[in-house]
Amino acid sequence: MAGKIKPSKELIEKWIREDEEARSIRREKANWDFIEKQPPKIRLALIVFIETGDIYKAAHIANLTIDEFDELRLKAGIPVIT
Amino acid sequence: MLGVIDACFIIDWCRYRYRGLLEKFFSTLFVHEETLEQLKSERSITYISELLAKGILRLYPWSHREEDEFLKLRSEIASNSRIPSLERPDILCLIMAKNLNATLLSENVGIHRVVEFHKEYGNVIVWTALETLENLVYKGLLNISSTNEFLRYVKEYEYDTGHIFKSSRLENSLRRLKSWLEK
Repeated sequence: MAGKIKPSKELIEKWIREDEEARSIRREKANWDFIEKQPPKIRLALIVFIETGDIYKAAHIANLTIDEFDELRLKAGIPVIT
Repeated sequence: MLGVIDACFIIDWCRYRYRGLLEKFFSTLFVHEETLEQLKSERSITYISELLAKGILRLYPWSHREEDEFLKLRSEIASNSRIPSLERPDILCLIMAKNLNATLLSENVGIHRVVEFHKEYGNVIVWTALETLENLVYKGLLNISSTNEFLRYVKEYEYDTGHIFKSSRLENSLRRLKSWLEK
């Protein structure tokens, strides 16, 4: 059975910084007026996307496929960051 | 040149005004049928259908041996809180790219992170749209005479897709292009 392969502490610290930078851009660019007007589940999904950048989690919450959710996040002005 | 394409890349790239350049760059792009199942919007399905019809995109013949590889990799990377959710098709694409020695086109941060730390997958080349645009320049498919012109292409991509590239990655790309332009 395969064991877990763990990234180094330095790499994890770098990822934490990258995640924080991306989160801050998503928060800043998001159209919060649009988000506030959405039904609770959709609003939650958009906020989860802003906070995590995780399209699978967000799409799952909204009960949408990832490309359907992608249309939604575009309307909400939330960028994908890579 | 061989490529493997995942759903996150397709969803963004199909909105790009110069999306047709991808088929001029790659001789063959492979896709897993489970990636196709992730696509539901008319725009992405239309794009992928066009690539299939042109013979650029081909379905990958997934094997039992690769299924074992998937199970191993999944268990090795499971539950790492700093790796965003990776769905099965994304991991399949990474395995396909490794086994084909092909470039993986992916916007999935989790995949990029696996390649950063997993020794067996460290040699897989993974491009986001930014590296794809950069390599379109090197191949003469996007013409630029300055890095500012490249930035204009990047801005167009960002506008079309609602996608932003991290400043550090963009700076690296511009540095490489500057040195290429000076040659």
